[in-house]
Amino acid sequence: MIENRPWLTVVSHATLLLGIALVALPVWMALVASTHPASAFGVGHIPLWFGDAGLDTWKTVLLEKAGNGIDTPVFFMMLNSLVMALGITFGKIAISLLSAYAIVFFRFPFRNLCFWIIFMTLMLPVEVRIVPTYEVVANLDLLNSYTGLTLPLIASATATFLFRQCFLSIPGELVEAARIDGAGPFRFFFDILLPLSRTNIAALFVILFIYGWNQYLWPLLITTDDAYYTLVMSIKRMLSVTDGDIAWNQIMATTLLAMLPPVAVVIGMQKLFVKGLVDAEK
Amino acid sequence: MTDVILEKIGKTYPNGYHAIPSVDLSIEEGEFIVLVGPSGCGKSTLLRMVAGLESISEGELRIRGERMNEKEPAERDIAMVFQNYALYPHMTVYNNMAYGLKNRKVSKNVIEQKVTDVAEMLGLTDLLQRKPGQLSGGQRQRVAMGRAMVRDPKVFLFDEPLSNLDAKLRVQMRVEIRQLQRKLGTTTLYVTHDQVEAMTLADRLVVLNKGKAEQIGTPMDLYNKPATPFVASFIGSPSMNLLPANLVEQGVQISSSLTLPLSHNYRGCVVWGIRPEHLEITDEQNADFALRIQAVESLGAETLIHGVLEEESKKGIPMVVRLSGPHLPELNSLMWLTAPVKHWHLFDEITQQRL
Repeated sequence: MIENRPWLTVVSHATLLLGIALVALPVWMALVASTHPASAFGVGHIPLWFGDAGLDTWKTVLLEKAGNGIDTPVFFMMLNSLVMALGITFGKIAISLLSAYAIVFFRFPFRNLCFWIIFMTLMLPVEVRIVPTYEVVANLDLLNSYTGLTLPLIASATATFLFRQCFLSIPGELVEAARIDGAGPFRFFFDILLPLSRTNIAALFVILFIYGWNQYLWPLLITTDDAYYTLVMSIKRMLSVTDGDIAWNQIMATTLLAMLPPVAVVIGMQKLFVKGLVDAEK
Repeated sequence: MTDVILEKIGKTYPNGYHAIPSVDLSIEEGEFIVLVGPSGCGKSTLLRMVAGLESISEGELRIRGERMNEKEPAERDIAMVFQNYALYPHMTVYNNMAYGLKNRKVSKNVIEQKVTDVAEMLGLTDLLQRKPGQLSGGQRQRVAMGRAMVRDPKVFLFDEPLSNLDAKLRVQMRVEIRQLQRKLGTTTLYVTHDQVEAMTLADRLVVLNKGKAEQIGTPMDLYNKPATPFVASFIGSPSMNLLPANLVEQGVQISSSLTLPLSHNYRGCVVWGIRPEHLEITDEQNADFALRIQAVESLGAETLIHGVLEEESKKGIPMVVRLSGPHLPELNSLMWLTAPVKHWHLFDEITQQRL
């Protein structure tokens, strides 16, 4: 659709610019806020241009303990978040790949029932089953551990469903050709299936990484040891100061740091992500 | 030496559908066998049973004397070329061809040697580093064949490999497949629904109908002496003219007014057939019967004339005449024809067997 209407171009560009401003403004404000001293926010207005305390704030945030009773530095919490996000992502991808593989390519009794049971868990996200899940994790002695942070979030119906659809689109002749070529179940999985679902895996990686990184409720519930605090939940904790000033400048800097990894993942995998959603290379 | 033996092979699906009742076939070493039949006749199922992609419900399959029923496809030492080629889209042509050998733990040098040789034979040398997505239909077809040839199997299986190619390429590949098979001397089982492909490729043809082998024989056998009306109508294009008739003392009684003289000791209902190319134009005195012309198809080298019988009680039965060279008869006019006795085909109407 190619139309040559100048006012349309102007309007659409204006709309786009407005959208960008709308999205970018909070980020800008966070960046600016991190360059002012903490006292600057008590007066009631929000600064819109850089202050002169930037170096101090970032030094504190990056090198010292997070403060407000949190005994770990921010970069360590980023590490925790990263471990959790990657754990969830890889765990989800691995387990969904395997379950989709079983459901699509193997004939076993109650195959469809298995699929629908997995599918039904879509209705049971962590928030819904949080009390029993907590109970189980607590009984297994997994509170305050990386396993406890990741394991309950790994089972995934969405990813299983996505891989099932992807596998179903692989032509039967290809499977048969591989059988004749002497590829057993393992070889077929690693040599044929995995490379063919590469783009799907990448797309899912992006979605799941962000999902894992942004987990709030679950880490909040099961970590009481500062060593396992994740970044997203700690921001909230840094806010709840009982007396004295809220260190807005540090919190804003931390927020910016918390945004970085998801942004990096999206930018880094954008090409594959789009390809995974639109492309059918089979 | 007999290479492949199908002994009373049958297929019953779990839902009780009896796709193939019983097929017997023994294939000599180096023979090119074509399974041909209309769609749904079970030819692909039969091939897939030989490949091991479909379980064998009844009977026994032996390759070089060894029972194969329970063996995995990879253990049968067969190679298959699929209709949609089934190339691995993420692998280069080289890897596509090498994959089967890699899985068999053949050493790298040997693989390279074999792949290069086969690629050269098929003219794929320049394409080895490409991926299937970057190849044309004909090239993909070659790669699929190369993948089969590299393995140097006991038996080649082809499942309608040419049906996705355009007409010109199909003819070219047909010739090529035949030459390659001769050169390699590998026993081949080839499935097609195209009777021209079947006739030109086969050492022996198996005509399948509803899961039964109607006739097994050389293309010329099947053309000259079809065993059943089904084979008669399936082999040859346009297909044979078949008319219900009565065999009486005077000959073949086609209608109350038309009896073609013949001495035969069989009596009763028969199917009388003659191929379009065997009907001859003549004048009214010497004619056996007349045809009312309805359509003329001029193909240059030959002319196909479609008409209907003018005889009492058999009025309107369509017949086709094939004449060499251009002819331009007038539509709706009468055409006088004679059917030489030596070209007749007679089948028992009840048993459907050749008389």
